[in-house]
Amino acid sequence: MNLFSLMARHGYALTFGLLLAEAIGLPFPAAIALVAAGAAIAAHTLWGPYVLLAAVTALLLGDTVQFWLGRYMGWLLLGFLCRVSINPETCILRSAESFYKRGKVTLVIAKFIPGVNTMAAPLAGSMKMRFWQFLRLDFAGALMYSLTYLVVGFLSRDFLKAILRGFHAAGRAMEAVIICALVVYAIYRIVQYRKYRMYRVVPRVQVQELAARLASEEAGRVQIVDVRSHGYYDPGAARIKNSIRIEPNNLEEELKHLSKDKDIYLYCT
Amino acid sequence: MLREKGFSTFVIVGGLTAWRKAGEPVESVPENDLVKLPTFS
Repeated sequence: MNLFSLMARHGYALTFGLLLAEAIGLPFPAAIALVAAGAAIAAHTLWGPYVLLAAVTALLLGDTVQFWLGRYMGWLLLGFLCRVSINPETCILRSAESFYKRGKVTLVIAKFIPGVNTMAAPLAGSMKMRFWQFLRLDFAGALMYSLTYLVVGFLSRDFLKAILRGFHAAGRAMEAVIICALVVYAIYRIVQYRKYRMYRVVPRVQVQELAARLASEEAGRVQIVDVRSHGYYDPGAARIKNSIRIEPNNLEEELKHLSKDKDIYLYCT
Repeated sequence: MLREKGFSTFVIVGGLTAWRKAGEPVESVPENDLVKLPTFS
């Protein structure tokens, strides 16, 4: 059973499900699903207009959810989506600036750009784009994206069949490659874990203990540091009195704000 | 990483929430410390 035979049997539901999953930020191969659907259309096992309707509806639905989540959750959602970035803060701000500079039309081409495709809808919400304007542009983008890959699948049906036959023939070899890759990745994670394990146990202090120290003559040796990634983005945000903020994802740069003569007390929300 | 770099580091149990609950003083983040996203409107 492969994607193409699955498409022949459950094409409309599969197309809708995979595209919706990708639109809400899950790592599913929506483009591959569209290509497979295109091949199924060429084989007359699916009807093109229904597939296109399922695809565009799923993308619009997922993007609309992301738009409103971005509008009301802002940084929290964007930070979650940027989690795979080395520097989530820069990921958010850079994506927003890029989006803003290219203009609202970015929404039309966003789905073709890795990284931007996930960020575009919630960014549009966070950046206060009008909903009906977002919907028009997103519809155009969803239509263009769906049509492109459906046509690719439609035109390259025979070529795709040949590739699948090749994968099937190389089955055992492919399994060995995948298993090796997983073992190497597991070893890498174990090495990383053991390397940083000793630094994971950071002493913890209760609020009362710190407050007592601040009221004593040792107050000058205390530095309280806010390491929240999103606490400084909303008007009215609060922090512990006399604390400073450092960007946790840019520590090398932020170290100059800290003193080795003092005890550093870290906090987040 | 801070401990690797030689900083004496601790974590406040409960964070800002616990600090507020204990009635300890907080302050508003200064305007020039706030980070803003660009907006369309």
